[in-house]
Amino acid sequence: MRRWPRGIEPSTVEPKVDIEERLRPLMNRSLAGDADAHRQLLSALGGHLRSYFARRIGTGASEVEDLVQETLLAVHLKRDTYDRALPFTPWAYAVARYKLIDHLRRRHRRVHVPLEDAGVLFAADDSEERVVQTDLDRLLERLPDRQRTLLEDVKLQGLSIEEAARKRGVTAVSARVMLHRTLKWLNRAWHDENG
Amino acid sequence: MRTVDLIALLARDVRMTPAGAATRKLLMGLAVGGAVTLALVVLGLHCQPLEAAARQPWFWMKASYTGLLTVAAAITVRRLAVPGRRPGIAPAVALLIILAMIGLGAGQILAASSATRLDLWLGHTWKICSPLILLLALPIYGCEVVALRALAPTRPAVAVAAAGLAAGALAATFYGLHCPEQAAAFVATWYTLGIAAATALGAALGARLLRW
Repeated sequence: MRRWPRGIEPSTVEPKVDIEERLRPLMNRSLAGDADAHRQLLSALGGHLRSYFARRIGTGASEVEDLVQETLLAVHLKRDTYDRALPFTPWAYAVARYKLIDHLRRRHRRVHVPLEDAGVLFAADDSEERVVQTDLDRLLERLPDRQRTLLEDVKLQGLSIEEAARKRGVTAVSARVMLHRTLKWLNRAWHDENG
Repeated sequence: MRTVDLIALLARDVRMTPAGAATRKLLMGLAVGGAVTLALVVLGLHCQPLEAAARQPWFWMKASYTGLLTVAAAITVRRLAVPGRRPGIAPAVALLIILAMIGLGAGQILAASSATRLDLWLGHTWKICSPLILLLALPIYGCEVVALRALAPTRPAVAVAAAGLAAGALAATFYGLHCPEQAAAFVATWYTLGIAAATALGAALGARLLRW
């Protein structure tokens, strides 16, 4: 594994301040309930996470993609711990680093993840996703039918919550609650499975 | 599942998110746990005659020691409860408060005649003081852990140790309503020991509970 010097890896640096200026408004809009901003934010983060994790754990594509997905799920579920008065990139970097350490520890690897400037997370961007089977696929199979069909309606058919709820004959509110609970369950199950 | 699909899924789960979640959840934990502990002290142990006690400097010496320590520890927990914050000076302040109390107690012992030293140090209740503080800390600690689990501490072991410290210090503050001991040497030793035990127990139990 190559270790970067403290600070930012030199060749591929986008100036960090631009990233902060781009992502922070997206995060604020996402916290205000803007789904489109949320999607843009997670997509942008996904690219940075992919290249950051690949640099740290090698390029085992499915392992990297698992970690990207787990981190995005955590960013989503823990977004209320971001303090709007503070910069966003250090928060995102701390989440990514925590997930990386947790991942390495679960696999009983020697853990040394230096605490660096948040810029290392945003030093490069790899938005090209490898198509792999991820842990999520396995976990989804364990979901009760009702929850899995809801997820599939929303995910594969791109239905809105309201449409999916109507299709299954439940209220939009309960579909919304079910989706949120399912996401939380996935986050927990990930840990329980991977010990 | 492809990551783009996951992101689309997550974007369906977006709602308005109120600000200040971390502070609110942690304060709620302190309040609920603190109420249980306060009830245990008032109903289970009974308060000493508070009107008389409140006129004594030693009563306020104890209250300010454990009260200030609670504040410093709670600020530490708050900062460690979310990603990307450093603990700041609060842990150092907590340490200074403890050292100051130990200094006060040591000074009292050194100034006392050798005949009264042991009495000052052990009081009448030294055997039960630390264990009671540890027990009284448990409800507060439990509620703080519940709050921390809903947040995102990236250094869980340290965060949960700080939660143990806050729980011990707040429990000791309420215990002071009951405990009639007056000597700084007593407080510096047995209160501090109970609080330290809560911190150690908190750290030992909590790190596994806090993964997210």
